Amino acid sequence: MDLIILSLPLFMKGLHNTLLMSLGATVIATVLGVVFALIQIFGNIFFRALVEIFLYLIRGIPLLVLLFTMYYALLYMGFRIDPLVGGTVVIGIYFAAFMAEVFRGGLLSVARGQWEAGYALGLRTKGVVLNIITYQALKVIGAPYVNTVIMVVKGTSLVAVIGITELTFVGRQIVERTLEPFLIFGVVAGIYVVICYSLSLLARYLERKIGYVN
Amino acid sequence: MSIEGQSLQEIEIDRISKWFGNNKVLDEVSLSVKKGEALAVIGPSGSGKTTLLRCVNFLEDFQQGTIKVSDEYIGYLQDRDGTGSRQRQPESDIALMRTKVGMVFQSFNLFPHMTVLRNITLAPTRILKQSTQQANETALQLLERVGLKDKADVLPASLSGGQQQRVAVARALAMKPKAMLFDEVTSALDPELVSEVLDVIRELIGEGMTMMIVTHEMSFARAFSDRVVFMADGKMLEIDTPVNIFENPQNPRLVSFLERFRKSYKI
Amino acid sequence: MLEGLTVTLLLSILAILFSGVWGVLVLLALRANQLFRVVGRIYVEIMRNTPIIVIMFFIFFGSGILGAPMTGFAAGLLSLVLQNGAYIAEIYRGGIQGVSKRQFEAGMALGFLPRQTFLLIVLPQAIRKVIAPLGTQGVMIIKDTAIVATISVAEMTFQARLLADRTAAVFEIFIALAGLYIIVTSIFNLGVRVLERKYGYKN
Repeated sequence: MDLIILSLPLFMKGLHNTLLMSLGATVIATVLGVVFALIQIFGNIFFRALVEIFLYLIRGIPLLVLLFTMYYALLYMGFRIDPLVGGTVVIGIYFAAFMAEVFRGGLLSVARGQWEAGYALGLRTKGVVLNIITYQALKVIGAPYVNTVIMVVKGTSLVAVIGITELTFVGRQIVERTLEPFLIFGVVAGIYVVICYSLSLLARYLERKIGYVN
Repeated sequence: MSIEGQSLQEIEIDRISKWFGNNKVLDEVSLSVKKGEALAVIGPSGSGKTTLLRCVNFLEDFQQGTIKVSDEYIGYLQDRDGTGSRQRQPESDIALMRTKVGMVFQSFNLFPHMTVLRNITLAPTRILKQSTQQANETALQLLERVGLKDKADVLPASLSGGQQQRVAVARALAMKPKAMLFDEVTSALDPELVSEVLDVIRELIGEGMTMMIVTHEMSFARAFSDRVVFMADGKMLEIDTPVNIFENPQNPRLVSFLERFRKSYKI
Repeated sequence: MLEGLTVTLLLSILAILFSGVWGVLVLLALRANQLFRVVGRIYVEIMRNTPIIVIMFFIFFGSGILGAPMTGFAAGLLSLVLQNGAYIAEIYRGGIQGVSKRQFEAGMALGFLPRQTFLLIVLPQAIRKVIAPLGTQGVMIIKDTAIVATISVAEMTFQARLLADRTAAVFEIFIALAGLYIIVTSIFNLGVRVLERKYGYKN
């Protein structure tokens, strides 16, 4: 029991890193996701093909494999980049693929007539998207976006296997010392559940909001 | 880009053809709409009349032919003397040309997240760079003309179909277009709401606005248009004054088309 | 690495089949009485909001402490089924809500008990409607099998890591590994599409 209390600061560090990575990866995934989605809808054939191939490949590979690849790449380069940062970037790129799908779905869900009315008035594509489409698309994007963020948070747990001090890794370390897997992993799971469940409540709230508009 | 001696034609459609895959939806259609003329376009479903209308503001592309509005090409440019192949216009020019032509859609397409007023002022402020005050003033005047001044600050969802369509007309007029395109604007309305929209269009005709009206409202076309064109299978089959079209149809397809209408609509 | 492929495939197939079945049981539990509904909801929410690796550690290391240590394969399989069963139950639920109420009424009118109507008429239709989402879930399961590498199961990713630690051809190894996953998931996706065409309904 004392061992557990002694482990508390380590625990906090793990939690801190988990949250940091989740935030960082979410930002990266969102930005890249928007770029990919826009290319898929408006880009020329060449870039569209590149993006679609890239997304297809990413969606077929486990995140863990990508993380291992990054880890060994860093190893070879002599760890000039902090694995924490590397892990965050890889997770961000991985989930950008999911984000792109969400954003694309949202943009395309807006009725064609809205696009046409905008063009008919003489607006260019940028004007139509910014003034007319985005607001309407956001209503559809809200809930799936948050669900993807939940996936990001859960994804950060995988960097535990490449030795990064986040929540799951810390959990494993403490269990090795205290031999209380149920208690420790239970608590770890509990923390993830608190974070992710709260996010899912947000997602459910956002989903209800679209129903209101319809 | 206009020559000396501006033409009397506001809209010039020159031998346009359009294919959807193997399907020829427009077959060498040529048509001119004079300044101030109200041209009604009638025909069975699938005749290409809506497609033709949408070509005029280049919402639809066309593989052959050219279209001019106010003596300027839209969509494709052609050499002055008509030789050589056509060149696609840059997107910015197409957008500019679209400001000269107002379109009203069958499904209104008002922007649901903006008030009625904002729907009308969006394009003038963003494209014509009008000041908010100026745009608002014009918008309120237009709303007054269509009889909806008191609805300026509501969202479209709280309006009836007829009211939404009238707002859509005001929105198009706010850009001070040279010509208006009406795409079956009453087809999606409950019958009792149709006349309020047709009244607005009739007033516009009275004020001398050039327009192309795709419609099924035969009695309206007969009473208020200057010419009527009948289309079927992507071709223009007959074009004449309303009296001649409805009383004295020549083309057999037109005859049977009107016959079907007389049975249910009593022209 | 190819021996690892067999393990990966075996684990994937078992996990997919078992979670498909477990999902039905979870669904039925959620529709049963009040107690089951509450317990079931808590179970589903815990499973949906916990990373799979934490579940695997919980079961794997936990079983060791209890004195009946599970193999990595068993612990991994159990974890996959528990988590994905919850997701799949939700997918079924969505499908059922999509089946018209009239179908249910028709069954009742013929004289079936509610439970029979549900099992014989509504559920088969619901499952056909959700072939696509089930397919997506299946791909996720296949990808999640990689995680059992962390509890020493000799599947593809584990073997790749082993090779990478020994040899210098790290990039080739991981590109091959990625390639294998893409091939497996692509074949699976093709299978799903075939199933969809044969049995699926469009709304």
